[in-house]
Amino acid sequence: MINRRHFLTTVAVGTASAAALAACGTGSNNAGKTGSAENPVTINYTWWGNDDRAERTRKAIALFESKNPDIKVNGNFTDFAGYWQKRATEAAGGGLPDVMQWDLSYLRDYGQRNQLLDLATVNINTDAFEKSLLPSGQIKGKTYGIPTSTNAFAVYYDPAKLASLGIAEPTGKWTYDEYNAFLTEVGTKSNGALFGGTDYTGVWWMFNIWLRQNNIEAFTEDGKLGFTRDDLKKWWNLTAELRGTPAIASEERVTQLAPKSAFGSNVTATEVTWDNFMAGYLADSGAKELKLVPVPSDDPDNLGLFLKPSMLMVASAKTQYKDAAARFIDFMVNDPEVGQIFKTSRGVPASKTQRDGTTFEGTDKLVVDYEKSIEQYLKDAPEPPIVGFGTLEASFKRISSDLNYGKLDINGATDAWFKEAEDLIKQNA
Amino acid sequence: MTQSPTLSRRSTTSASPQPRKSRRRGADARAGYTFLLPWLLGFIALTVGPMISSLYLSFTNYNLFEAPKWIGLDNYTTLFQDERFLQSVGVTVNYVIFGTPLKLAAALAVAMLLNSKRRGQGFYRSAFYAPSLIGASVSIAIVWKAMFGDNGPVDQGLSIFGINLGGWVGNPAMTMPMFILLTVWQFGAPMVIFLAGLKQIPNELYEAASMDGAGPVRKFFNITWPMLSPVIFFNLLMETIHAFQIFASAYIISNGEGGPAGSTLFYTLYLYLRGFSDFRMGYASAMAWLLVIVVGIITLIFFRTSKSWVHYSGDSR
Repeated sequence: MINRRHFLTTVAVGTASAAALAACGTGSNNAGKTGSAENPVTINYTWWGNDDRAERTRKAIALFESKNPDIKVNGNFTDFAGYWQKRATEAAGGGLPDVMQWDLSYLRDYGQRNQLLDLATVNINTDAFEKSLLPSGQIKGKTYGIPTSTNAFAVYYDPAKLASLGIAEPTGKWTYDEYNAFLTEVGTKSNGALFGGTDYTGVWWMFNIWLRQNNIEAFTEDGKLGFTRDDLKKWWNLTAELRGTPAIASEERVTQLAPKSAFGSNVTATEVTWDNFMAGYLADSGAKELKLVPVPSDDPDNLGLFLKPSMLMVASAKTQYKDAAARFIDFMVNDPEVGQIFKTSRGVPASKTQRDGTTFEGTDKLVVDYEKSIEQYLKDAPEPPIVGFGTLEASFKRISSDLNYGKLDINGATDAWFKEAEDLIKQNA
Repeated sequence: MTQSPTLSRRSTTSASPQPRKSRRRGADARAGYTFLLPWLLGFIALTVGPMISSLYLSFTNYNLFEAPKWIGLDNYTTLFQDERFLQSVGVTVNYVIFGTPLKLAAALAVAMLLNSKRRGQGFYRSAFYAPSLIGASVSIAIVWKAMFGDNGPVDQGLSIFGINLGGWVGNPAMTMPMFILLTVWQFGAPMVIFLAGLKQIPNELYEAASMDGAGPVRKFFNITWPMLSPVIFFNLLMETIHAFQIFASAYIISNGEGGPAGSTLFYTLYLYLRGFSDFRMGYASAMAWLLVIVVGIITLIFFRTSKSWVHYSGDSR
């Protein structure tokens, strides 16, 4: 249990040990401490994800340890929301794990504040990567993260559920009105037993895509907001008619299912999210097959889609085992056998070596094929978002949830979000 | 210093033992402090130190990674324009005002039932005390969440009586009753203290009252309540302070977000989110200090008003 005293204590002890560790850190050589087969070094690795990913990661770690007897990897995982609170606590104490799975949303927060190792200073092979993808792990000329894989936004649907309702499978060439009509049809035909989807206007990245469909960038180069209140109001208005109807899952249900998703719990027929969630959804829902189509767009030539690093591998700036950390990262992003273990559950492997060494079948092939099918619409991957973006993304979700509960109207929600965003940008300026 | 003449005068009259005694007292004090040292060191390093540093941080903009920047009272003034902060105050005050009296009432009622001499009292006492032992744990919060979810036992149980509330966890209007039930259910600790207090009340008082024809209600208000008032006061104080600090169950039931619609955004939870999700440690520290001050003031008010209703044995009243 955490009470106020514990909390304050943690902060203080953290600060003290950060100073102590900083003092120890100086003077170590570039490779850091190295081990041998008889006397291996142990590095800590942490990731977020569900049981499915944990199982796969454990297999990958076992493989790494058998190939590198001088290194032991101590693995640890949590869900996404709790993940970042833990990292903040550890960073305050100077005790970040040696190697971490990372998200683009938090790269600036930690990278710009010197918590992450510049991976260009250690030995990681990036020859097999698309040159357009690597900059998303770089800030001001330093490489803080190596993408493991790419993902893109998509609409998932469960063909079996649609067939049982007698609804034709979507083609993915649809406007927002058509997608809304589709969601309503599912809700109506199932008599509310199955919702069409969740409120997609609560998803930041879908908003970002919609902005790009309208040729607007979410953030300006100097880290300000690139869109107006009117844009956001228009966006939240897209599903105004659907809220509170069987077209979208009620917020009461969604809240109670958390941390599981509504789609993974078989409460909805579709979901708009990243294409690498396929493996997780299959495991959670027990569905035989799930399919992917592109997101709606009112401009058929501009889908606003892009490939994003679905996750990055980073190392702590304070790791004592730089060499071991680098070898583990290199293994996780490049090794073909790792590709075989993860398939598309982390996204489509970013390294060509890993991608070519992986056989994609069944639903994994669907994900790879989906990313190929949208190739002609893809735009550049976005830069690492602004400092504090993770907070903005979370408040976007929270405020749209308030909107669905009817606690705020669209004007109120827009004001609330802008107030928080402007406050945050000012805070971190 | 003013005492030294008397001391020396006394030493002249009653010969030697006085200075030796004071020397022994000095040695006793040294030994005492030596034995206290581990605790004192812990108290200074782990409690006083952090509190002072958090007081300093509350006047700064501190994001955990960069050196704190002094901003004066800004954190404290922006607090009152922060709607989420005001919401968290509202949620917490609601919880304290409704949860604490209900919990104490339940504790007192059960303690009075258990005070009579019947067979199996030991078992009942343990059974009623058990929830408060496990109540703060993570597992109970998870069980609670499952019980009050859609189609959970509570939802289904109420449906039998034709009450269809659905799951409480996702319904902003029902989350507060759920948390209050959780705290009321953990009445074990104050109950044990009440029980000890009830045992101290001399039986003659009740007997005398019976002879004078007092009924149970009269006995309760004229004997039990005043005789128990120091214990009631103690429990009220402790439970109020405790209620302000609710964190773990709120964190777990709302997935650390304070939802749905901010209805479980307790003060400490918002403090934690500000510090560890938003990296605003200065702001979080200001919140922590405000809580310390407010709880301090409430304690003071309790003590001031206690004179009018708390009776200690041996009081002239």
